[in-house]
Amino acid sequence: MITQYFDSSTKKWQRILSGLSLLLVILFGINISLGSVAIPMYSILDYFSGKELENPSWYLILAQFRIPKAITALLVGGGLGICGLQMQTLFRNPMAGPFILGISSGSGLGVAIAIFLGVELGGLFEFSGIARSWLMVVMAGMGSFIVLIGISLASLRLKNSVTLLILGLMFGTAASALISILQFFSQAESIQAYMMWSFGSLGSLSWDELTVFIPIILFGMLLSLGLSKSLNALLLGANYAQSMGVSLTVIRLLIIINTSILAGTITAFCGPIAFFGIAMPHIARMLFNTTNHLLLTPLIILMGGLLMLTFDTIAQLPGVDATLPINAVTALFGAPFVIYLLMRKRNIQYTYD
Amino acid sequence: MQTQSLTIGYTEGKNHKVLQRNLNLSISKGEIISLMGQNGVGKTTFIKTITGLHPSLEGDVHYQNVAIEQLSKQTLSKKISVVLNEKPFAANLSVVELIALGRHPYSNWLGRLSTLDKEAIDTAITQTKINYLANKKLYQLSDGQFQKVMIARALAQDTDLIILDEPTAHLDLNNKIEIMLLLRTIAENGKGILISTHDLQISLQLSDQLWLFNFNKPVRYGCPEDLILQGAIEQTLFPVNDNIDLRTGTVKQLTATNGAIRIIGDESSVFWTSQALHRNGFSSQDTDAEMNLNCHHDGTWHFSYKGELIIFEAIEQLLSHLKTIIKVARND
Repeated sequence: MITQYFDSSTKKWQRILSGLSLLLVILFGINISLGSVAIPMYSILDYFSGKELENPSWYLILAQFRIPKAITALLVGGGLGICGLQMQTLFRNPMAGPFILGISSGSGLGVAIAIFLGVELGGLFEFSGIARSWLMVVMAGMGSFIVLIGISLASLRLKNSVTLLILGLMFGTAASALISILQFFSQAESIQAYMMWSFGSLGSLSWDELTVFIPIILFGMLLSLGLSKSLNALLLGANYAQSMGVSLTVIRLLIIINTSILAGTITAFCGPIAFFGIAMPHIARMLFNTTNHLLLTPLIILMGGLLMLTFDTIAQLPGVDATLPINAVTALFGAPFVIYLLMRKRNIQYTYD
Repeated sequence: MQTQSLTIGYTEGKNHKVLQRNLNLSISKGEIISLMGQNGVGKTTFIKTITGLHPSLEGDVHYQNVAIEQLSKQTLSKKISVVLNEKPFAANLSVVELIALGRHPYSNWLGRLSTLDKEAIDTAITQTKINYLANKKLYQLSDGQFQKVMIARALAQDTDLIILDEPTAHLDLNNKIEIMLLLRTIAENGKGILISTHDLQISLQLSDQLWLFNFNKPVRYGCPEDLILQGAIEQTLFPVNDNIDLRTGTVKQLTATNGAIRIIGDESSVFWTSQALHRNGFSSQDTDAEMNLNCHHDGTWHFSYKGELIIFEAIEQLLSHLKTIIKVARND
């Protein structure tokens, strides 16, 4: 009886996962075909099959701008989604997200220091665009890395996950306070440069940067798949998880490192993209009515990529030159979607009352 | 499993707060043991200590002659499973998924279930008779069903020993008995079972051994009936209140201030009528008295007092009549 149950559910989930993958490919195509210059679908198929394109400038647009951006969107969506999922399970808190441990504030502080010191010392705007973007990436990465080290060390010492959560919030507030002080003493142009970074952007990655970005995010996603089994055990609480052979210290450290690497890298390259990490796990749980991490992790990787591609398509406003900041689009269109699901589905139960 | 001069408790700063010291206890397969004691005596701490969730202050816990600190978490999880007194974070988990979690120590890193795993899950579900719940979500279950599901999860973990922390708390009497009978069957199928509980009557009847924890006194253990005859249960569980009848688990006869009533008739009716009379300050006897009560098979009560016979159709009417009699007697 149980074998049947598992077999039929395996088949069902295989269908769902392959359906989502197909949808993802289609959306990827739509995403790269739309923009200030519309490229017809058949040309995109031609591009991927290696044929000559009607208009040679399309080739450049696709290869240099749209495809890197679409790949970034795909990875950012999935990456932030699984960070949120892991934090929510680890802290047993449906309001936790990838930035709950102060990772984005850490990156923000790094970037703020780079911008404000750069402007003060007078060198920043003399750098070329590429050098400047790498400087930001390195500083943002360092910022989140320092927070990561702090939190990891604390996690070895603190036995209680909620204490760890509060500690993360404290790191975050302290970093935000430092950023405010820096802003207070700086000029308008550097504040604007910082604001631009904080809007988030998917389009700033070139292939050079993608060669760093893609392997790190893929590694993080693979690690997440590996952590899923233990995350399921954590659903029953720390004591049950330990009684089933999970080493709490190891698993907690791995989850924190994994989230920090994913969220830290994404923030470094694309800026702090809010909303997505908290909302994505809820969207997946409600749409597919499951809390099993072995299913949720691949579902969120696919769904997150899918939604981020959609949001990016909306952000680049077909037929218009301007691009909306991605941070605004995700929240503006994502929040109503979550509200709709909450009102409509009502199948999510976080507590027993 | 056995404990060797085990001391349990908490460390707060540099102070040790000892709850129980020098415990030498052992459980074997096929046994069901009830751990009893008042609140705060260290039952939950003991359970956490012997399952490796909490460090001991002194002494060792041995499993098949190996100290549990020397066993890896993975190995230990194949030997001892637990049912704790806490609810999971995800009420959205389905029953089968939850029971499948019990196979955690056996499945591979992706949590893939082998045929053997599926068989173990199937056996656990059949043994606890919860087939009809398999597709439900946890938030849809009643407390009794939830407890059975958690027991099924422990069974799926396929360990020699199952340790349960107050499995029958919050349950109604019917479910308490059902859970205990289920545990009894599981023990008879060759597993060792330790439960902490406050349900004296059921545990006295169904456990092979009792372990009684007491404040600042050595633990008492042995066959339940021996412990009753030695008076150990009264000393441990009811040190202040000596008004409890262990044979029925009820309050001993209350002081009778309103006089005696001779009561005869249908056995079960006599029993319950007497209880109502005791509560209202009367004593009952089957020898002659001034007041006489005959409990009839047809559900009526024939009450005679000072040569007057009154027939009542409910105990409540009888009681209110008795109250007026007492009032009149007092006013005289």
